[in-house]
Amino acid sequence: MTVTQKDLLSIPKKAILKGHFACAGCGSALAFRHAIGSIADKVILVVPASCASVYQGSGKGVAFNVPTINTAFAASDAVASGISRAMKKKGKEDLKVVVWGGDGSAADIGIATEIGACDRQENILHVMYSNNVYGNTGGQRSGDTMIGAKTATTPDGNTIPRKMVPFIMMANNARYVATATVAYLEDLVEKFQKAISLEGFKFMQIDSPCPPNWRSESSDSIKIARLAVQTGIWPLFEWNRDTGKAVISRPGKKYVETENRTPITEWTNLQGRLKSITAEQLKELKSDTERQWDFLRKFL
Amino acid sequence: MTVVHETKSLTGNDAVAIAALYAKPEVVAAYPITPQTTIVEKLSQFVNEGKLDAEFVIVESEHSALAACMGAAWSGVRTFTATSSQGLLYMAENVFWTGYGRLPIVMPVVNRCLAPGWNIWPDFQDSMAFRDAGWIQIYTKNNQEVFDTTLQAFKISEAKEISLPHMPCLDGFVISHTTAQADIPTAEDSYEFVGPYSDPVVEIDVDNPWAYGAMTGPDQYSQNRKDLIAAMERAKKKIVIVHKEYEERFGRSYGNGLIEPYGDEVADLTILSMGTIGEESQEAIDRLKEEGMSVNAARVRTFRPFPTEDIVNVAKKNHKLLVIDRSASFGHDGQLRIEVESVLKRYNVDTPVVGRLMGLGGEDVPYSMIMNEVKKVLKE
Repeated sequence: MTVTQKDLLSIPKKAILKGHFACAGCGSALAFRHAIGSIADKVILVVPASCASVYQGSGKGVAFNVPTINTAFAASDAVASGISRAMKKKGKEDLKVVVWGGDGSAADIGIATEIGACDRQENILHVMYSNNVYGNTGGQRSGDTMIGAKTATTPDGNTIPRKMVPFIMMANNARYVATATVAYLEDLVEKFQKAISLEGFKFMQIDSPCPPNWRSESSDSIKIARLAVQTGIWPLFEWNRDTGKAVISRPGKKYVETENRTPITEWTNLQGRLKSITAEQLKELKSDTERQWDFLRKFL
Repeated sequence: MTVVHETKSLTGNDAVAIAALYAKPEVVAAYPITPQTTIVEKLSQFVNEGKLDAEFVIVESEHSALAACMGAAWSGVRTFTATSSQGLLYMAENVFWTGYGRLPIVMPVVNRCLAPGWNIWPDFQDSMAFRDAGWIQIYTKNNQEVFDTTLQAFKISEAKEISLPHMPCLDGFVISHTTAQADIPTAEDSYEFVGPYSDPVVEIDVDNPWAYGAMTGPDQYSQNRKDLIAAMERAKKKIVIVHKEYEERFGRSYGNGLIEPYGDEVADLTILSMGTIGEESQEAIDRLKEEGMSVNAARVRTFRPFPTEDIVNVAKKNHKLLVIDRSASFGHDGQLRIEVESVLKRYNVDTPVVGRLMGLGGEDVPYSMIMNEVKKVLKE
């Protein structure tokens, strides 16, 4: 299925209504609008503690227009498993169970639950929107934070390499794994649609700029996300268990070769969290980025 | 009406598993922990043999065991899991989420003490840690009662006006792994008694989307908690009603379902206790009476909701209470004693209360030990 710009502009049913609490320039809310919007009449959403548990709105004024189960931080994939099994018992397997959470849950506190659901091949899709930080609690380092990034708990810049969650899910025999970005929404929705069409545990990681924590301009979110692909920071790919192969997605094809990439500083310069990255940290960031590519190349 | 039943020799855990089988849960989640493990093993066997048509989710932790049940309960189906001790603690945030979220999950807790040190024997420290989690807690005295209680649990908890999760509690090993006789009704009669889970309060519906557990301001939040308090009060009545229905159908009862009095109505001393110590206390009473002492007992069966009125009535009639606790609130006293004293104060009953901590970490509490304590207390 090919998703075009026209498809993006004609969402059949709005999944997120006005009155949501997302910040201006929020990547996650934008991805939500288009991805969840593309299946809004047949989705059950499970949301761990995350920005999404806040930006859905509050009390009776919740802006999510789809059934939404909020769960404890580490509980989502197990709750989603229970829903998916119950729906199977009720003969409602056409309903798609989607976990929508950030990197704090997906890379850190909830990763055991996620791997458990993956091992069991629960029929769910986990969408990890990456803002590389515990955004909801004021911007602390997560297992997905970029090297060099200043956060509330790494004031001199993060030094720990990122946890490569998509590869962890591949190693655990997920049905389908993909990365995506709000800079290329057609690609994102296409992958989302493919993921939900498959049986078993699917995983997607979405680069989701976060202006307050990245200390970037709201109007730069898409630009920053695009530069993440062009600099090689954000490899865009999908992997399917059937073939065991990874395929680099069209918008990212050119940047497999390092000589085609835009200098990383063009990406860092737009973000307060990375603006004053040291030469040493920049070297480490590049090496951590290459580590991901080296891993990915083994599957190409 | 003739009740068809079979007298079986079985362990407490088997009794729980059979009660769960007969209630026909649609989603069962399981994680092993001693001494609970044989319950979920048995259920996985039932599913494998085709006796139980349920989705069996073999999760990677207790946290996920309850979480999977929560997902299924939000989907409006009957769910079941069981746990113990550290496993219950590992579930902690989901235990509260389930109670405060009013999901009627039935989860027997096979009582086992908490580490350190490692010890698999029974006390009530595990379930007592969750007395404020919004769950119904019923402590049982033997294999028969744990079967009856587990079956009743579904009917009480899933009632629309209740919608609360339920922990039938059974002493680890003393009940869970000890083989004893129990009268087990037929599967058909059991299911007919429980009935289907047909009218859930919460059920995910894509045509009528709701957000459960979204951000909630103080007004709505405090209203939700007040609703929970009210539901617990209704549950107190419901437990008595369902217990009565069960008695009418199957001919078995335990007091009024809240407390089980034993012996004479009036005595110099009344033993208040829970679980298997409650049954052992009954033996102690028989022997003490043979020695000419004026003693009786009341076993507190339902701890949440707390049987305030029943406790007050017992205290009013009798001259002294000996409360035996198998768990402690450190820095204070045994939980049962604390709560008994609190309700007596509230109702201006001045019957003296003496407390004893017994059976911690699986310390064996035979009737002889209880008799000794009673004699000491009567001399005090």
